[in-house]
Amino acid sequence: MPTDNRRIQGPEISTPYCVFGSSTENEDEDGCFKSTDPLSSTRKDGRALLEHRKIYMKTGVVSQAKGSAYIELNNTKVICSVFDPREIPNRVEYSQHGELFCVLKFAPFSCTTRRSHQQDAEEKELSLNLKRALEPAVCRHEFPNFQVDIYVLILESDGGSLAASITCAGLALADAHVPMYDLVTAASLGVAGDVLMKDPSEEEEKLCSQHFERSNLNHGLITVSLMGAHTQITQVWQTGSMTTTCVSESLTHLIQSCEETYPIAQRCLVKSVVDTISKKKVPEQS
Amino acid sequence: MAAQYKTIHPVKYYRDFLAHDLRPDGRSPDKTRNVTVNVNSISTADGSSTVRIGNTTVICGIKAELGKPKPDEPECGFMVPNVELPPLCSPLFRPGPPSEEAQAMTCFVSQATSDMVDLKELCVSTDNLAWVLHIDMICLDYDGCVQDACLIALSAALRTVKLPKVEYDAETKLPSVSLDERADLHVKSSPVSTSFAVFDDEIILSDPTGEEENLSSAKLSVVTDGEVILSVHKPGGSALSETQLQDCISVAKDRANLVNELINVALSSVDR
Amino acid sequence: MADMSGQASGEDHKLRPFYCELNVLSRPDGSAIVTQGETAAIAGVYGPIEVKPNKIHIEKATVEGIYRPKSGLPCVSDRLCETTLQNTFEAAVLTSQYPRTLISISVQEMQDSGGLLACAINAGCLALMNSGLSMKFLVAAVHCMINKTGEVILDPDNKQLKDSCASLMFAFDNVDKNIVSSSTHGRFTEAQYQEALLRCRTASTEIFQLYRDMVKKYAPTMG
Repeated sequence: MPTDNRRIQGPEISTPYCVFGSSTENEDEDGCFKSTDPLSSTRKDGRALLEHRKIYMKTGVVSQAKGSAYIELNNTKVICSVFDPREIPNRVEYSQHGELFCVLKFAPFSCTTRRSHQQDAEEKELSLNLKRALEPAVCRHEFPNFQVDIYVLILESDGGSLAASITCAGLALADAHVPMYDLVTAASLGVAGDVLMKDPSEEEEKLCSQHFERSNLNHGLITVSLMGAHTQITQVWQTGSMTTTCVSESLTHLIQSCEETYPIAQRCLVKSVVDTISKKKVPEQS
Repeated sequence: MAAQYKTIHPVKYYRDFLAHDLRPDGRSPDKTRNVTVNVNSISTADGSSTVRIGNTTVICGIKAELGKPKPDEPECGFMVPNVELPPLCSPLFRPGPPSEEAQAMTCFVSQATSDMVDLKELCVSTDNLAWVLHIDMICLDYDGCVQDACLIALSAALRTVKLPKVEYDAETKLPSVSLDERADLHVKSSPVSTSFAVFDDEIILSDPTGEEENLSSAKLSVVTDGEVILSVHKPGGSALSETQLQDCISVAKDRANLVNELINVALSSVDR
Repeated sequence: MADMSGQASGEDHKLRPFYCELNVLSRPDGSAIVTQGETAAIAGVYGPIEVKPNKIHIEKATVEGIYRPKSGLPCVSDRLCETTLQNTFEAAVLTSQYPRTLISISVQEMQDSGGLLACAINAGCLALMNSGLSMKFLVAAVHCMINKTGEVILDPDNKQLKDSCASLMFAFDNVDKNIVSSSTHGRFTEAQYQEALLRCRTASTEIFQLYRDMVKKYAPTMG
């Protein structure tokens, strides 16, 4: 293995201690859904199945960036910054449309197991999905031959990382005054058998993607991003297998979630505008 | 008008301010910025903290893992501190491996913190098992004195680490971890770094912003721990006299006390 | 191959024998090899040469310091040395004289027996003198350590360093004898720092004298 001489290295092999762990707390992985009636049951964190987590959003968190945003869904924490358009590097031919350059990264300490410093396959896939979700919303013809850099860092991941990243990046783009048709918001949903869970946590995501593999039951995750005012879906990302009826049912729920998030994002942007105006006034008076 | 003037001739802009003993952000040359410390904000990490110095933001997360000690140091565990300056924090950086600046910062931080934890205490079983503390400091906002923020963040995060009790079974060669019994890490020292920028070869600015660092002719960092100096790091730049260095050291000492108090307040305010 | 200082290394207040030679490499514009006791470093200067567009400065030269360890590639722990070297030389070179160019100074570690960074700075400075680039001032670096009883020992070797609780390196300019660089390891008090600083400053005059002798010796070849 080539050694990374640009970082301080620990020993070659190290294992998370949880692997060897024994705890007095009993970990029954999926007991909470099976026995009771799925529609009335509550989840581990006390939410109903179709209840979204509370969202906190803030723009203008990174002073050096053109636009930036921070979003928090309980334990999922994502920060994003967007920079001024710059010429696309190493490009010979002229491109009619501007480009979005998206890099999504998990912080090394963001997940239960440590992540590497280098971008791995999952991060690359998520970056691509992020790019696809944002592209339709941006007026790319307004900056031909230029690219806008969008950097997303997931500080802590507890499910719905992609959805949070898309919403966060959408806000940051708006904060950076990048011309857009509409604001993009996203939501995720987990399917495990007959149970649909809005905005699943990490544990629930695992359950949806693993537990039902042996049977033919519906299982999987769907993330949808939506332009709220146009009610146009910009991207759907689905894993697992589910029937078409299940997918269309999920989509209705997801669109509803996205529409619920939309006014929160709008309010957040309005607040940042009001704040900038009131801030600007103060030094002029003094 | 001021904004245009600043863009056209930033050095002159600063000179005009400094002629009145004032900086554009309203501070006097020797005044440092406000520091805020927040601990245990990341639940997936074993210890974490977020530190802000003015706009500069650094988040530090510590992940503890188990590994085999090095053959030449069988009684020592590992501390693996790394500073990351992702492209997110400033337009100066591009994605890819750590820049030279990030590496120099990593080196600076690891030197200053090398004696904070006795590595022998991180060892579970000689030559067999030891703790590996992966300490990652990520800059979220690059506005000067990032190394200071990294050091404070590391110091605060290290104090929030609670390692579970581990026993090594020599027969099965497997460790057993009891997740409910956790103990604090024994942190021996509390180094605090304070950076300065030298403007126009003579004016010393404490705790400079990113812009001030850019325009400066020299930078220096002083790391102190109580009355003891851990490092006076001045990598080149315009030459300073002894008295100027002395002034910096005394400013750094005063600030170190304040910052350490702040870390303690932050730690006690959180139910650990 | 003359021992330029002619001093015994055993005494605490003296520097180790300082030996240097210029023009040791044929390709660079200036080069020097310096040995201080057992510690040796070789430096080469290229400049002014073409600079990459992303590093160009309109109003001054870009100075690049490269530090190469004895074997392998430079790793994280060498970076702090490298930035110190780079910034020290950047301060010393009259960069405004060579706008839009690159001045590249590479220092190769030959042997480290204590005080390598100081030796590297001295070698780099001599190489710069040898290259004929305009400089604002010369720099001389002195390394010292504080032992467990709190005494300051100038220019210690590896054996002495085992007994140290702190090691300090200072670089001074030859005009006002002000501090250009300071790099330290270990714990010490302010008083010890001041003492070390004063001792090193006094010792730096010795190195500047050596520089002068060097120039005298090489004046015919330097043109």
